Amino acid sequence: MGQPAAKLSVSVPSEIAAAVRRRVGTRGLSGFVARAIAHELEREQLSTFLAELEHKLGPVSNAELSRARRAWPKR
Amino acid sequence: MAETLILDAEAVHALAHASERRVLADRARALLTVAHEKRALVRVPTPVLSEVCRGPRHNSAINHLLNSRGIGVIDLTRSIAQQAGHLLARAKLTSAHAIDAFVVATALQFDTAVIATGDPADIQRLASPFRHVRVFAL
Repeated sequence: MGQPAAKLSVSVPSEIAAAVRRRVGTRGLSGFVARAIAHELEREQLSTFLAELEHKLGPVSNAELSRARRAWPKR
Repeated sequence: MAETLILDAEAVHALAHASERRVLADRARALLTVAHEKRALVRVPTPVLSEVCRGPRHNSAINHLLNSRGIGVIDLTRSIAQQAGHLLARAKLTSAHAIDAFVVATALQFDTAVIATGDPADIQRLASPFRHVRVFAL
């Protein structure tokens, strides 16, 4: 069973509104917006977490960052 | 679905106890940083929790990591479990490797995925047929 839903009223530029309706239609809009909001909130939380770790442990070395970037799949 | 970083047990442990596990934590932090740059999701498959949670007295660091740090837990569904069974059969592995198979089957739910693991050999064996899943050894 899903979580209870809350209604939000937001304003977006008309071009974005048209693009998202083309992408998901009217019925899929709520789910699309909910996923987008959840993703942005997670990104902010992750950014804060990374900053906390850097404050505690210092920066990640460039060598480790390079290795991680090489491991990531190319799109 | 989106690009995703999947954290195996070693990565979860390292991030939850970063001060005590500096080398592994730095490697996991580097991957988290790249995941953030790529706008990727970061997920822990539910079965991994059975490897890292050892009772209420030991779980606070794990719960701290998984609450509001931008790292989500992804549930084990029937289809993921069944796919894990297929992966074990294909790799000729027994159910002793079930959690590894759950991790790889979870990664297969996404367009592309990187699995951060301390156990790269078995994970690689399960994931090798799939070009959109990468294995990163911590």
